[in-house]
Amino acid sequence: MDVEAKRIMALSISKLYSLRTQRGGLCLHRSLLLSMTMRAARDIYHTAQLLRDAEEEQVVPCAPDAAIEEPMEISKDSPQTLTPKEVAMKHQEPKETVEDDKENQCASERHSRKRRSKTAIEPDFLPLKKAKMDTDEEKQHLQGEVLRTNNGNSCRQAETLTAFPTNRAVVAC
Amino acid sequence: CAALRSGGGGNDVHWCFSQVKGAIDDDVAEADIISTVEFNHSGELLATGDKGGRVVIFQQETENKSQSQWRSEYNVYSTFQSHEPEFDYLKSLEIEEKINKIRWLPQKNAAQFLLSTNDKTIKLWKISERDKRPEGYNLKEEDGRYRDAATITTLRVPVFRPMDLMVEASPRRVFANAHTYHINSISVNSDNETYLSADDLRINLWHLEITDRSFNIVDIKPANMEELTEVITAAEFHPHQCNTFVYSSSKGTIRLCDMRASALCDKHSKLFEEPEDPSNRSFFSEIISSISDVKFSHNGRYMMTRDYLSVKIWDLNMENRPVETYQVHEYLRSKLCSLYENDCIFDKFECCWNGNDSVVMTGSYNNFFRMLDRSQRRDVTLEASRESCKPRQVLKPRRVCAGGKRKKDEISVDSLDFNKKILHTAWHPQENIIAVATTNNLYIFQEKVN
Repeated sequence: MDVEAKRIMALSISKLYSLRTQRGGLCLHRSLLLSMTMRAARDIYHTAQLLRDAEEEQVVPCAPDAAIEEPMEISKDSPQTLTPKEVAMKHQEPKETVEDDKENQCASERHSRKRRSKTAIEPDFLPLKKAKMDTDEEKQHLQGEVLRTNNGNSCRQAETLTAFPTNRAVVAC
Repeated sequence: CAALRSGGGGNDVHWCFSQVKGAIDDDVAEADIISTVEFNHSGELLATGDKGGRVVIFQQETENKSQSQWRSEYNVYSTFQSHEPEFDYLKSLEIEEKINKIRWLPQKNAAQFLLSTNDKTIKLWKISERDKRPEGYNLKEEDGRYRDAATITTLRVPVFRPMDLMVEASPRRVFANAHTYHINSISVNSDNETYLSADDLRINLWHLEITDRSFNIVDIKPANMEELTEVITAAEFHPHQCNTFVYSSSKGTIRLCDMRASALCDKHSKLFEEPEDPSNRSFFSEIISSISDVKFSHNGRYMMTRDYLSVKIWDLNMENRPVETYQVHEYLRSKLCSLYENDCIFDKFECCWNGNDSVVMTGSYNNFFRMLDRSQRRDVTLEASRESCKPRQVLKPRRVCAGGKRKKDEISVDSLDFNKKILHTAWHPQENIIAVATTNNLYIFQEKVN
């Protein structure tokens, strides 16, 4: 399901980009439909991604220590499996982290701004602006996907992990 | 959902090939792609618009109407360049010359009038015939050269003499600069004085005589464009009630508005929406629920909407669901991902009613088109193809095999040619004559008469 979601997300992004070069100017209707599909796919993909990350976290060998047994018992009340709400919250957090990461974002924004002025996109087509910012994010994310292996050593993975509140980490172990 | 039995026989109309217009070769020039088809109110004239900004009008010959019941042919009456490509220097955007819609005005005098529109500008064209010319001027020769005044010794009265018929098209009004977004619809009001034009976010009301201003009657642009969730996809005036119009959205809803209620019709009088079937939910649910066309029935009691997979008939008095739903090509539902990849899922199919609102028609892929008989609960799939081009050749019903064993004469879904799409069709207002546009050809079919 998430493989499909990722494919549709990538497809949507490339279609959104190609819309800009089309004769006759931007088609608002199509951009809207593409953005909606892209977001739906992205949400599914992220959800699946986070679920996978959570699973991996649980799988990470963490020898049950007598010293931490007490804290484990206390936090046993909190659910082992992530509820959709928690997933949604987690989904928010990595995003915020990326947005705070201005240094990395600036370069792409500047680049995209330059591109925008060349094609002189009408300023009030903001949904596309948003989609574009998202797509830049997605592009980074996807590129990151391609480059990194799945052993969780990439910095993006680290960002995701550091965003987790500590008690959850304990639960996972 | 109305159940349909397919099949012929009985009182069904059999359709025959009549004519095909356009180039034969497979290499289609982009400018020749037909983008709109429309009969005038009497059905005598048939107009097409293309991507190159041209309008071609065909006229039905009246000479041999008395002979047999085979209706006469349509021949080229007038061809003119309606719109040219333009460049918006302020936004650095090219404005396509493609004709999005043509709408005829009801005839008031000898001349014919039509509205044609591209993405940004609507034009009113006057098409008039000239079959006489004045001869016998005193000061000019017949070829236009001025006579030497010294040679003029007598006076005569110029007279009109017959000449070869000449059809002239002249732009009488240009309605420009009123749309920020792309115009998708125009609709002439039953009052014959006003018309509306709709783009993605706004609908404007014009007076046919006044070009320097229009009234904005619908505006769905949000204050923050990031909150945009739907766009206007089509709009039409009610055929008899000059205060009523409808507009459809990309979310699958139709709003009926009454211009008497307020100047700005942002609040609808009625909202037509069918709850979504949760079992059909997919990534592409949003896209396929977008309405591509809305048309009132001739009697004004119903309206028809077309979305990607179906045609729905709505009773204007019932908002919560359509009274009839017809599947156009349900076998595509499992192929939506591929259709998204090749962009076919964004194709905007139109639909039309026959003269007495008993049958509706819409296009599909592989140059197939569908006739949906409301009264007899039958449907048939026909094909516009050069293979069936013998004069008066009866069209054979086509069948698509969705899966499993393919029967003889059936075509499998995977063999369908998705580049051959019929987006635009039109039905003669009184007779069983239909015009079906393939990519660059216009087919005219007529009812078989015994």
